Amino acid sequence: MIVGSQKPLDEIWNMVRDHKKVLVFGCNTCVAICHAGGEKEAETIASMLRMKASQEGRSMEVSHMGVMRHCEPEYFTPVMDEVKKYDIVLSTACGVGVNFLSERIGNVPVVPGINTSFYGAVSEPGVFEELCAGCGDCILHLTGGICPIARCSKTLMNGPCGGTNKGKCEISSDVDCAWFLIVERMKSLGMLEKLAEVLPPRNWTSARDGGPRRISLEHIRVFEEAEENKDKSAGGKN
Amino acid sequence: MPTEEIKVTPYRPYGADIKETRPYSPCRAACPAHTDAQAYISLIAQGRYNEAFEVITAPNPIATVCSMICHHPCEQACRRCGIDEPLSVRHLKRFAIEQSKDYRRAKRRLAEKTRGKSIGIIGSGPSGLTAARDLADLGYGVTIYERHPQLGGMLVSAIPPYRLPREALKEDVDDVISKGIEVKAGCEVGRDISFDEISRKHDAVLLAAGLSMSRSLNIPGVEGPGILLAIPFLEDVAFGMKIDLGKKVLVIGGGNVAMDVARTARRLGVKDVSMVCLEASDEMPAWKWEVDEAVEEGITINNSWGPKAVARQDGKVTGLEVIKVLSVFDKERRFSPVFDNDQTRTIGADTIIITIGQMANLSFLKDSAVKIDERGRIIWNADTQMTNAPGVFVAGEVVTGPGSAIAAVANGHRAALAMHLYCQGEAVEGKLPVQEKEKIGQMPSDLTDKIMRIPRQKVRHMDPETRCNTFEHFEEGFTEAEALNEASRCRGCGGGAVVDSSKCMACLTCQRVCPYGAPVVQAYSVIRPEYCQACGLCAPECPAEAISMVSYDVREHRNNMAAAIGSPSAGRTEPLIAAFVCTNNIGRHAFQTSSNVKVFPVHCVSRVDILDMLKAFECGADGVAVVSCSGGACKYLDVEKRASARISRAKSLLSVLGIQPERLQKLSSVTADIDSHAAACREFSERVKALGKINSTNKDKE
Repeated sequence: MIVGSQKPLDEIWNMVRDHKKVLVFGCNTCVAICHAGGEKEAETIASMLRMKASQEGRSMEVSHMGVMRHCEPEYFTPVMDEVKKYDIVLSTACGVGVNFLSERIGNVPVVPGINTSFYGAVSEPGVFEELCAGCGDCILHLTGGICPIARCSKTLMNGPCGGTNKGKCEISSDVDCAWFLIVERMKSLGMLEKLAEVLPPRNWTSARDGGPRRISLEHIRVFEEAEENKDKSAGGKN
Repeated sequence: MPTEEIKVTPYRPYGADIKETRPYSPCRAACPAHTDAQAYISLIAQGRYNEAFEVITAPNPIATVCSMICHHPCEQACRRCGIDEPLSVRHLKRFAIEQSKDYRRAKRRLAEKTRGKSIGIIGSGPSGLTAARDLADLGYGVTIYERHPQLGGMLVSAIPPYRLPREALKEDVDDVISKGIEVKAGCEVGRDISFDEISRKHDAVLLAAGLSMSRSLNIPGVEGPGILLAIPFLEDVAFGMKIDLGKKVLVIGGGNVAMDVARTARRLGVKDVSMVCLEASDEMPAWKWEVDEAVEEGITINNSWGPKAVARQDGKVTGLEVIKVLSVFDKERRFSPVFDNDQTRTIGADTIIITIGQMANLSFLKDSAVKIDERGRIIWNADTQMTNAPGVFVAGEVVTGPGSAIAAVANGHRAALAMHLYCQGEAVEGKLPVQEKEKIGQMPSDLTDKIMRIPRQKVRHMDPETRCNTFEHFEEGFTEAEALNEASRCRGCGGGAVVDSSKCMACLTCQRVCPYGAPVVQAYSVIRPEYCQACGLCAPECPAEAISMVSYDVREHRNNMAAAIGSPSAGRTEPLIAAFVCTNNIGRHAFQTSSNVKVFPVHCVSRVDILDMLKAFECGADGVAVVSCSGGACKYLDVEKRASARISRAKSLLSVLGIQPERLQKLSSVTADIDSHAAACREFSERVKALGKINSTNKDKE
């Protein structure tokens, strides 16, 4: 899932300090799983902001709220009227949520309470590690399921480099050398010789390097359009 | 003295509504009246005795009586039975009732009569009193007809005072009667007033006359002096009549009434009391503890003998000839005794008391429209509590057969509701509640090692020698320390965590946090009630705030914080401390400390959320203490480490705000002694005082 972590309180405070009615708006999917921005963390930040306001002698109303997800519009619909009553929304959703709400909210600024970092998994409760870079052209079948783009510090396609050090990356002994992991895995799968195959230079346009990406599924859109037409002929959406 | 008439809204403990949608705790399911034992034991543990009284008496108007004599099916169902011993529920009930005596007396009020209809109730035993209370609360005028001079039915006439003190019964009766119920005592229907007249006077009539006649034995020699029947004997004792017992009393019977008869005979000065019954010792119908207590009092029980004839000499009883019983019940557990006619003996006695069963006295219905069957029993519909005669209802042992007081209470509730529907012109069929309730399953075997063993608090009895010479109550109640100790053994079945599936996104946090394996997570988390120990650890950990607790409001302390702390005065010389104090230890609920410490009681510090700690500072506290059980005394697992982690995080959040982290502290004293906790709080308060006031807040500027 998407993993992020809370911004330092001072940074958040600077964004909201001049507003009178602040909503800390949490998301209960990815950022809740990594304990960064679910409803509970939203309430925690709200409590901290109230104390900060009190310390600085500012009169500020701070509330909190949470919905399941900030990346699907139906979750906003039941609460949007309430949300729009605020001067500023501090979203503790991931960056996706901040964008998505900004497009829909109208004249209320939406600011981020989270630094969204990576796609990752829970190695152990409380520890989240980056495992995917969203490159758009997955080659994990060639590397035993271990991603050299996300997990090699140099994003090498033909590692390891000379900096590999007893299975760790030269940047830190806490970081595994991805190519060491790849080689060991391919060995255990009996597929080591696949690494000797030559591949053409990678086309990076499928990644963010090629511009903002969009996926459109026609078979779903057709269904939605049919629903819309049905509604129209039945007298419009309710 | 009842004063003005008011409408009383019944007290409902927190979580009462959601509990109706989920399986009951086994104690509650086993009670015929479905008393929420888990709820009132939890209230007792928190020192909230008056509220415990409300929970106890809501479904049971003869709760004081039951606290003395109930056979406590709740205890037999208690899930601690698989761990060590069940909770001593009956004695906890007694304790709470004793503590709330002034409260209950002050509560007595006339009930408003709003219906313009009147009800006649024949019989003032458990079912009659229950129906009377329910119907009075519903606004009906109620008249009770009772043939004895005192109310209570069998409770006053057949249960001896060494088991049920008169004062205990009087409290229950007064609670009911003070609602403005008209009482006709010493009024026997059929003799002093006809059933016909009662039917004409009232809009509906309840027959709750019980089983007031003793069965006798049709054996040679039974006619003549020296033979007594159980009920008349017990009634004579109850109403102070003189009784001539000889020196050697033999009681025929093996049930609870037989035990009462034998133990009463002992207390009337007879040293040689013995009993004879068909059943072997392990199949006697009497409760085992009754038998044990009787044997302690020197009563001999002759098991597996059947009465054949009364032996007499010169007209006086000399004994009972008996035949050996080979078996009592057949393969289908039907009563079908088999005798060995070759094995006989004579048990010596000069007085024989026959206690082999009871039947109803229905002679007053002789010329009425109420149909009786060929075996002399009222024909009734158990789904509607109705007889065939319109407006004539039945409740209690007169139709259910012999049973417990609490079962009669449950039946009385049914009859009251049926009569109310009838009087409102509504159909009764299908409207009375289902008796059987789904209950939480047994304690899973993989949990038994995770539950701290605590021995059951023993109940003190008068020693057998002393108690045989008096009708004084032979049991002593719990002291407060004993009651709190016992109440803390409750595992809170059914009072635990519930997940709001619309908020849960299956992050697995609760599954990882729970020490008992209660949550099962698929599309969302479901917390299994048979595993959940209601410790409260999971709710503060849920990142979506999707977990609530059945038995308390997880937001309670946060919501009340501002009001509780008030406005700390700028000129205060003592720091304002908010203390979250675990009440799971003797006297913790009465935790008194200096006036600058606001105490927020919690059943365990597992429920103290970082948000609660922050809220205290937000509302102006100078310091926050989290006071937990010492060392290994916590009755739950993992609380120490979770609480420490939360406090650690809260401290770092406070640092970010420039608030000294030393202002937040976890305290636990070396001993469980309440005074050392108070001392720990005082010390903490001194340390916070030394830190001065918190960096200027708006409040200080006022």
